[in-house]
Amino acid sequence: MLSVQGLRANVGDKEILKGLDLEVGAGEVHAIMGPNGSGKSTLAHVLAGREDYEVTGGSVTFEGRDLLDLDPEERACLGLFLAFQYPVELPGVNNTYFMKAALNAKRKYHGQGELDAVSFLRLMKGKLKVLHLDDSLLKRPVNVGFSGGEKKRNEIFQMALLEPRLAILDETDSGLDIDALRVVADGVNALRSPERSMLVVTHYQRLLDYIEPDYVHVLAKGRIARSGGKELALELEEKGYGWIVDEAAA
Amino acid sequence: MNAQALESDRPAKVAASEPDQGPFDAWLPATAPNAEPAWLALARAAATERVHSQGAPTGKSEGWRYTGLRALLEQGFTPVDAQPAALLPEDVDHLLVPGLDSHRIVIVNGRFAPQLSSLAGLPKGLRIGSLRIALAEDPDALTDDLTRVAGDGAHVLAASNTAGMDDGMVLLAAPGALVEKPVELLHISVGMDEPRVAQPRHLVKLGDGAQVTLIERWASLGDALYCNNAVLEIGLGRDAVLAHRRVQLESPSAFHISGVYLGQGAGSRYNGINIGLGGRWSRTDLVMRFAGEHAECDLGGLYLAGDGQLVDYHLDVRHGLPHCTSRESFKGIIHGRGKAVFDGLVYVAKDAQQTDAAMSNRNLLLSQSAEVDTKPQLEIYADDVKCSHGTTVGQIEPEMLFYLRSRGIREGLARRMLCLGFAGEIIDALGNDALAAHVTEVVGARLEAAPL
Repeated sequence: MLSVQGLRANVGDKEILKGLDLEVGAGEVHAIMGPNGSGKSTLAHVLAGREDYEVTGGSVTFEGRDLLDLDPEERACLGLFLAFQYPVELPGVNNTYFMKAALNAKRKYHGQGELDAVSFLRLMKGKLKVLHLDDSLLKRPVNVGFSGGEKKRNEIFQMALLEPRLAILDETDSGLDIDALRVVADGVNALRSPERSMLVVTHYQRLLDYIEPDYVHVLAKGRIARSGGKELALELEEKGYGWIVDEAAA
Repeated sequence: MNAQALESDRPAKVAASEPDQGPFDAWLPATAPNAEPAWLALARAAATERVHSQGAPTGKSEGWRYTGLRALLEQGFTPVDAQPAALLPEDVDHLLVPGLDSHRIVIVNGRFAPQLSSLAGLPKGLRIGSLRIALAEDPDALTDDLTRVAGDGAHVLAASNTAGMDDGMVLLAAPGALVEKPVELLHISVGMDEPRVAQPRHLVKLGDGAQVTLIERWASLGDALYCNNAVLEIGLGRDAVLAHRRVQLESPSAFHISGVYLGQGAGSRYNGINIGLGGRWSRTDLVMRFAGEHAECDLGGLYLAGDGQLVDYHLDVRHGLPHCTSRESFKGIIHGRGKAVFDGLVYVAKDAQQTDAAMSNRNLLLSQSAEVDTKPQLEIYADDVKCSHGTTVGQIEPEMLFYLRSRGIREGLARRMLCLGFAGEIIDALGNDALAAHVTEVVGARLEAAPL
């Protein structure tokens, strides 16, 4: 599904990722944990194709394609989805229109016809229910005036609609209270399937109580410092990141 | 434009023994209309004198600092003197807005075109017709209105319109008349054998408490080179309500000058939205005056300027009386080598206490070579007022673009979606689904074709 090898990336003159390796198989859920500034969000954005990050080395293969060679829109059409830590407000861009444009872009890419208005609305309404989102959100501009929780749920709603092969959740838990976290986690869990992989980027262990990972990786100083099963997350909860960071530095 | 060049052009003409020739003398009609009421002949003579004596505004005059007249003068426009072969409804079908139900009056090259208009079944209390016919039928009926709101006008081109006025629309709504269906004033310009200027003159008068929606449109057949120099005078009675929509979508070669002069009675409400999409060179002056307290004036605008286009909006809103409210909110999208000018003045006189005014001008530049000169100004002489202004000039936010692209939407469409989102606030305010859909489609198509 996803194979990252020796990935190096800069923001400006600063090297953030320093030779990162990661293998994600179909249907697997991987958690990427690590202290602030370890490169978690950079990894998420580099994979999604953000141009502010300069890839200086290594390779990324996604579904057999050279991911780094593709525009962000083509990555999305191939089935990569990034749930943003800070979902962007798009004033004046209607949420329904936005979702429809996204879904039809993907369908077009795969040689399918555009969805008609009725089928599209039916599809949207079905997904809304799962995420406890109000209909009125569809009529509003994308993320404008949404609460923090609504923004995150809107991200998962988009994910549900676009049915990606690989979903990257970038600190989806940040800023959520426990109820909102549960709703978001339920939404994510409903999308787990043998064909869909997930990369859950988080600082805190608590999200992993709700979204149970198959693998946990700790990122420190731009590399994977340690990998393990879900018990590694519990160990981190107990001991903090310090010991791993120290080991990585050693 | 280059003011120096214009100045140096002129002495040559003077040397050719044409003393005191103003640059717009060529726009004056060759012969004065006969059998004109004295009051109108007087106004025309005074305006003619102003055209003679006032030179062309130069880059030094504040109102024209960023808008060169050189291109306009170079065309050698002369007044429309003959009408094109009468157009048939099927010739202009494609210029109509699909689904727009209106009482329509059509002006072709400055002259009323009855065969294209649909004025049957006007509701009680509403009269719409040709200015020329109105003056012929009852020469003194318009004495108190025509030229009274505009006065000398904002600049020499307004004087030229008064000097050359020939035809246009007269809309009179009786006190209390509530007109449900919009009135559509459709200008159609047709290219002639040589570059011609039409100078339509319109008068809108709403009696006390009358309510009307006026959709003013500017369209062309083909890509003709011509000029319109229009003046619209609007008088609103006490508590009258006018929703005024202006959509300018003309030939890429067109020159457009228009002035809207508004006089508002006490408690009246004016809501005007200006959509400026096309033409090569366009200058619009919106001049607002309050004649009574507790009146509200709401001015919105959206302009798009692309390669080879100049769009200029000048606002002059004068609060001379207390307790009036004005809103000025203009947005612009400039792409390619387009240029836009926004100059908004809100003046609050010493006695205009409790004035509430807010002006904003926001611009989106889509290319390196796009240009906007924006100048919002507040001049406040009263001490108990609520006034604000703000202006922004920016580009499409990379974060927004990336967000859309990360959802599979290709870059070109993503940019268009963001531009339409930016413009949407003004388009939605049109408050007419058919018109809004029309404008959205045109803006979308323009952005799609635009070299960004």
